[in-house]
Amino acid sequence: MTVAAAVLEQVMGDVAAAAEYAAAAGLSFDASELSEERPVFYVAFSNRKSEMFHVEIRCDHYPKHPPTVEFVDADRKRRGTRDLYPACFHATPCVCARYNRKAYKAHGGPHEDWRLIDWMLPTSGGVAIRNLREIVSDLHGKIAESEGRLG
Amino acid sequence: MSDTATTESVRGGGQGGPPTVRISVQTPRGVWSMTQPAGAPIRPEYEIATKVESVIADARSVFGFVENDSKYTLHFAGANLEPQRTLASYQIKDGSTLVLSVQGGNA
Repeated sequence: MTVAAAVLEQVMGDVAAAAEYAAAAGLSFDASELSEERPVFYVAFSNRKSEMFHVEIRCDHYPKHPPTVEFVDADRKRRGTRDLYPACFHATPCVCARYNRKAYKAHGGPHEDWRLIDWMLPTSGGVAIRNLREIVSDLHGKIAESEGRLG
Repeated sequence: MSDTATTESVRGGGQGGPPTVRISVQTPRGVWSMTQPAGAPIRPEYEIATKVESVIADARSVFGFVENDSKYTLHFAGANLEPQRTLASYQIKDGSTLVLSVQGGNA
């Protein structure tokens, strides 16, 4: 089995659990593009004011390394701009948690004190986020109680 | 455990007792229901006057969410449930599925 095939197998198992959570929470969930070349899925969340936010979760090298969590527009053409982010996240803009590869210095984020292989450790005292279902739940909780956008 | 969640051997809401509901709670670590997970010491059957905070505490205990720094929120039908309100105040009925979100930290 190739590394990419092994990653996809792991991701598909975790995505099924994340999809179960999303279905119970009424979150739009799309894993139709999931493939070895592009291990990615999408979840849409709404905040307290019913504004919609669309998240792309890309899982290269998962679970050895964390996924990349990025906000995109509804058409998935624009990504990573402040207007696409809920106000509850870091102004970089970035979901500043160990489970997001973008938060690491080597990937453009602020954290040079973190190592990718330690991504399942707790961030700043909170519960450890260790898989895709827990990532979706963390995003769900934070966005659901937030208001407004970063930009 | 809250005062109202049932154990395997004790069931509330019998004939003439206060109204109860049997619910499911989807959590980041699995579903808590009358049958899942196997061997759970308590089951989500509650008097409708039970406060949301009691359900959160029970779901945390079933799945071992021990971290007090994290934020735990129950959601139902798109709403964030206030811990001090009752299940009845949200029109939660028998068979309803609630969702427990668990927030990790922010750096």
